[in-house]
Amino acid sequence: MPLARADLESLLRTRRLDRTLTTALPPLDPAGLPDEYVCAPTGHTALDARLGGGFPRGQLSEIVGPRSSGRTSLLLQMLAAATARGELVALVDALDMLDVASADAAGVQLDRLLWVRGHVVSNPGMCRDLNQRAVEQAIRAFTLVLQAGNFGIVAFDAGEAPMDAIRRLPFTTWMRLQRLIEGSQTTGVLVGSESMARSSAGLTLKLGIRNLECGMRGIRFRPRLFEGVDIEARVVRARARAHEDVRVSLSTTCA
Amino acid sequence: MASIAREFSPRYECHRDDLVSIDVSGLERVFLRRSVLDTREGDGPSASGVGAGPHASQKNPARSVWRVIGEELRREAASRRVRVHVAVAGSRMAALVLAHARPGVTIVEPDGEAGALAPLAIGILEKVIDDRPQTSDVRLQTFAALKRWGLKTLGELAALPSADLASRLGRQALVWQAIARGDDVRPLVPTLEEERFESSMELEWPIEGLEPLSFVLTRLLEPLSTRLERRDRGAAVLHVLLRLVTKDVHARRLELPVPMRDVRALRTLALLDLESHPPAGAIDRVAIVIDPTPGRVLQHTLFTRAQPTPEQVSTLLARLGALMGQDRLGAPATVDSDRPGAFAMMPFATEHHHDQRRTRGTRREQDEQDSALRQAQGIPSVSRDAGSAGSALNVVSALRRCRQPVPARVAIDNGRPVRVTTDRRGFVGGTVVNCAGPWRTSGNWWADRADGADRAGGAGGAGVSNAAGPTHLPHQPHQPYWNRDEWDVALNDGAVYRIFQDRDSEAWFIDAIVD
Repeated sequence: MPLARADLESLLRTRRLDRTLTTALPPLDPAGLPDEYVCAPTGHTALDARLGGGFPRGQLSEIVGPRSSGRTSLLLQMLAAATARGELVALVDALDMLDVASADAAGVQLDRLLWVRGHVVSNPGMCRDLNQRAVEQAIRAFTLVLQAGNFGIVAFDAGEAPMDAIRRLPFTTWMRLQRLIEGSQTTGVLVGSESMARSSAGLTLKLGIRNLECGMRGIRFRPRLFEGVDIEARVVRARARAHEDVRVSLSTTCA
Repeated sequence: MASIAREFSPRYECHRDDLVSIDVSGLERVFLRRSVLDTREGDGPSASGVGAGPHASQKNPARSVWRVIGEELRREAASRRVRVHVAVAGSRMAALVLAHARPGVTIVEPDGEAGALAPLAIGILEKVIDDRPQTSDVRLQTFAALKRWGLKTLGELAALPSADLASRLGRQALVWQAIARGDDVRPLVPTLEEERFESSMELEWPIEGLEPLSFVLTRLLEPLSTRLERRDRGAAVLHVLLRLVTKDVHARRLELPVPMRDVRALRTLALLDLESHPPAGAIDRVAIVIDPTPGRVLQHTLFTRAQPTPEQVSTLLARLGALMGQDRLGAPATVDSDRPGAFAMMPFATEHHHDQRRTRGTRREQDEQDSALRQAQGIPSVSRDAGSAGSALNVVSALRRCRQPVPARVAIDNGRPVRVTTDRRGFVGGTVVNCAGPWRTSGNWWADRADGADRAGGAGGAGVSNAAGPTHLPHQPHQPYWNRDEWDVALNDGAVYRIFQDRDSEAWFIDAIVD
């Protein structure tokens, strides 16, 4: 008698093999409603609604995009939402670029944020190996925080890191991190200019400035005041919604 | 007094610095031979000393044994230049009262406690009974009542009917009556000597690496952890003493953020510390000493999310500190300064409590103040809640701060930047599509620049900030002052930067990236 698909998925979950399938569904609560124990809400209502509650827990997700596309703003928003729920969060800041005033303005409870400041430099000069070592060191710090467990969100910010240093990391790094985090209540978030974890990633959210080609109307200025950026967020990879095109418009506003 | 009592019996109770009761029952075998010798030699017992009240058994050995014990107590105290009253009685309370009332050594016959106490003045009870604040008022009222009744001795108090006494003066009067009759109102609670938690191991062969040392540490820590658990104690300070083959002692002292007794956590913390401070030679003896502190009582709840335990956080911080450096991790904090990019690093707390309501309330109050200030200055108000958790429709725009501002070349046209370029890899630059500014900011110019340079250099220079020197210096860290014109510029590649011109040097820098 052939097994039904649900039975098969149940068996795979029992053996913890469901994550090996790209189409595997994350565990849902009985009511089928978004649950903050399943997803970590970003704090942005529209985005959470389209993501099915937020970023999945127990998975390594990504926020990618070019410079000024709102990656840091969204990350801080997530951290603020998590600390407001009473969670502890950690940020491995590979390039030591966190602006504490921005984090405070976003509403992050700073005493609940473990900030690990990396040594990666944007201009290594002739010391090309310097950044490679620093990235590996930051990844080790990220691993240690994930191993400690019970953090709500653990973010690895390599948004301005040279991509060649990131690409030189063994691909097994991300698979190992994914295996480390799965089954836990932690949401792993990677922030970069392009996707790092690729197939190991749970959810990849690509950000970009809206109407960039149309006279850069997505970047809003007032006379003598920068106002904010209009952002378009697109889910480019998600295990839960492999074939669904999810696009959300966001706006950032200067505090 | 405690040390004198400890010489005679392990069961003693310290009531005050100058008052101790000792359970001497069972000591008769020790002192019986001396008693017999004393009797044969015909030495009469002397009577002098101060007061310790022993608790003797009422049966068995001859009275002279108790006198010998009392004399020994007095002699031991005298050798330490302490004058004591000693009373030996069948009940602890009778001995305590008699030691207060009579000098020298007082021995009470079995079942003679009430008779020995009867002639004593009733005021003696004030010296014996504890003087806790909550009982002092009751005691004064009761004493006043007893005086009104005309009672003068303990015998008169003992003779009163208990039921009538209790109905008039309450339960406290019954306690006093029991004391007056020579009955114990509670058993002796032995004072326990503070236990030392230490363990050591001599190694037959010296060990050099940390890996074999970890096994030794585990073996030493496991029994200590068990003992700590039995005593409901946790480790406040962990001392690791390593005797080297050179006969030097490599001593490390770890102050733990919270009382802990988990073997794995303690071993990991000790090893991480030894990684940072390795011994100079091979180790031939390992000793662990723990300073105990009362254990941590945790009440878990079903309604809050699980968080890392203090042991996990402590271990994590130690590991991260060994990996990244202690100054590279912590909890960020804002500082009371207008300096762009200023912040402080605080130690990350190992214990966090769920107190969201207070935080939200404080933040809301702060928002209201900010909003009022913005309205007064004519600046459009932005609610923090708009960008914070829960009700967000907008996201607060964030900056990525360049700790070392990137030198830039900026072309100016009509007083406004029109092109920004840098030599820095990763910062391509381009034509300015839109810009906002200038915003002039300056500060700390009143400080003595030479002194400030010394202070900044001493605080660690560029990129280092900590609780001791909270202000982070984003631009020319050797200068404590700043004076700049800031611009927000959008370039044609879509990137938005915050750039500034230093007004002293007129040089341009990229300070932050809007992201």
